[in-house]
Amino acid sequence: MSNENMKDPALNANQSASPLDDFEPAETVASSSASNDNMLDFDDDPLSATGVSRKSLVIFFLIDTSGSMKGKKMGELNTVMEELIPEIRRVGEADTEVKVAVLTFSTEVRWMYSTPIPIEDFEWARLRASGVTSMGAAFKELNQRMSRNGFLNSPSLSFAPVIFLMTDGYPSDDYKEGLKELQSNSWYKFGLKAALGIGQEANDNILAEFTGSKDIVVHAYSGGQLAQMIKIIAVTSSQIGSKSMTLSDDTGREIGEEDVFAAKQKLLGQQIQDLVTSQTDGNDVPFDTGW
Amino acid sequence: MFNGFSHSVMGASHEKTGLVCQDSSAFKIGNGYAIAVVADGHGSKKHFRSHLGSKFAVEATIEAIDRFYEEREDLEANLPVNYKLIIKNIEKQIISNWNIRIEKHLEENPVTAEEKSKFKPEEFEAIPPESYYGSTLVAAVAGDGYTFGLQIGDGSLVAIFEDGKAVMPMEYNESAPANVTASICNSNAASMFSSFYAPNKRLIALFGSTDGLYTSFGSEFDFLDYHSIITSQLINLESFKQIIINNLTKRSHYGTEDDISLSCIYDEDLLNEKIGLLNKQVEDNKQRAAQRKAELLKKQVT
Repeated sequence: MSNENMKDPALNANQSASPLDDFEPAETVASSSASNDNMLDFDDDPLSATGVSRKSLVIFFLIDTSGSMKGKKMGELNTVMEELIPEIRRVGEADTEVKVAVLTFSTEVRWMYSTPIPIEDFEWARLRASGVTSMGAAFKELNQRMSRNGFLNSPSLSFAPVIFLMTDGYPSDDYKEGLKELQSNSWYKFGLKAALGIGQEANDNILAEFTGSKDIVVHAYSGGQLAQMIKIIAVTSSQIGSKSMTLSDDTGREIGEEDVFAAKQKLLGQQIQDLVTSQTDGNDVPFDTGW
Repeated sequence: MFNGFSHSVMGASHEKTGLVCQDSSAFKIGNGYAIAVVADGHGSKKHFRSHLGSKFAVEATIEAIDRFYEEREDLEANLPVNYKLIIKNIEKQIISNWNIRIEKHLEENPVTAEEKSKFKPEEFEAIPPESYYGSTLVAAVAGDGYTFGLQIGDGSLVAIFEDGKAVMPMEYNESAPANVTASICNSNAASMFSSFYAPNKRLIALFGSTDGLYTSFGSEFDFLDYHSIITSQLINLESFKQIIINNLTKRSHYGTEDDISLSCIYDEDLLNEKIGLLNKQVEDNKQRAAQRKAELLKKQVT
């Protein structure tokens, strides 16, 4: 004797829309719609021990902590990163969980935390500068971790990562070899890449090799500019990175996911250039004065 | 004695866009075996009948596996030695059953002018008819002391064997954002299946789910712990079933807002025997989750 239980999709659709009556305010779920929260949380649910996750996005910061960053540059960078966290937190408030991973590179490469941290829990650890600029080693390390078996193992991961490189000088190792490895990584290919050169010594051509376009390379020559540029790039790229772009164009024709990522990268370049040109220089002292 | 349940809920994104639920699910308790199966219709433009394709995939799978169990003694005698070949033959039979169903449906229900109106004539001509019905498929079978599963496209299988630990018996490859999901409608579908076979292990519970469930979790640990909690509550399935449905509904309204299907089969006798172990596992999982969270927040640079 057998017992078969086939489910009719139409019937299931009706069931999911049925009003249910045992509700209480949501604790484990964040959503843009408060009414939805209330409608869908249940007081007798032992399964709520495992929370419901929103779509997630990882932002990678690659930060040069070599000796040339010592003093005003590193001080300003630490301050602006501390200020930046609440701003990024607001980006994800609606329907995206933003996670942050920080890789520092000098003589050695080191992650600030052992895994990407949800922005709600993230605390900036103030960085110190010393040593040489092992940018190629940083690219290799990023390539290793940027994997479903590494830092991108969250089931709820829905967007290609944002990768933001900040440096003030020329790499002291073979950055091309590291970049070649990184360029073979699918997550890198489809991620949003941006770079910030700090001071006169940063080489825009190298940064453009990393981003794939000069439009997404900006420069900061003073503490004020550094704060502005980090905020512009981090916030804009997070906003665009977490945007669900439709897989069809204006005519309703379906487009490939590669086109969606290319469209995002282009949009990031345009928005960054628009925002950068609208910034005032201010009167603050350039980094390279006295450095 | 096996028992089971299955359920599909519609995702919020499909409610918003007026699509019907693209998922289908079922379970079947046979004589000495049980089947859990879920399917996720692709739902995009060219797969405009994929809600039917997923239903046909579920039906085709149960029909194919039942057919192999008509000669149960022979099947079970051969499985330990020839499991690869047998599972491959089941996969081929599923594809064949599915194609028969869609051909019949298409013959009885030709593409309407409205369905065609969304394409330019040359675009429509370029779509193979089986693509209208494209779907993924995840199926698992429990027998006497052995378990096997097969899968095409995304979705998950979770097994809880007699040690009480939730595991994913299928090996999943690295996937990146641009990866194309394998589908039962692909011309080479028979070669795109993944499968597993676990002999000589007593199974407590086996779950198949569509990817909407997996993507509603922040970590794979949580995903596995979720199955442990459900298993510990199966002892009161009738009263717990509505809680599972409520939870799936909640999950389908957040995150990727995708349809979610979950199908489960379990051994009632072994469940009763191991309920103490399962409850302890749930408590241990809670402690491990707290430890992971504390570990996660340790800074490595100062």
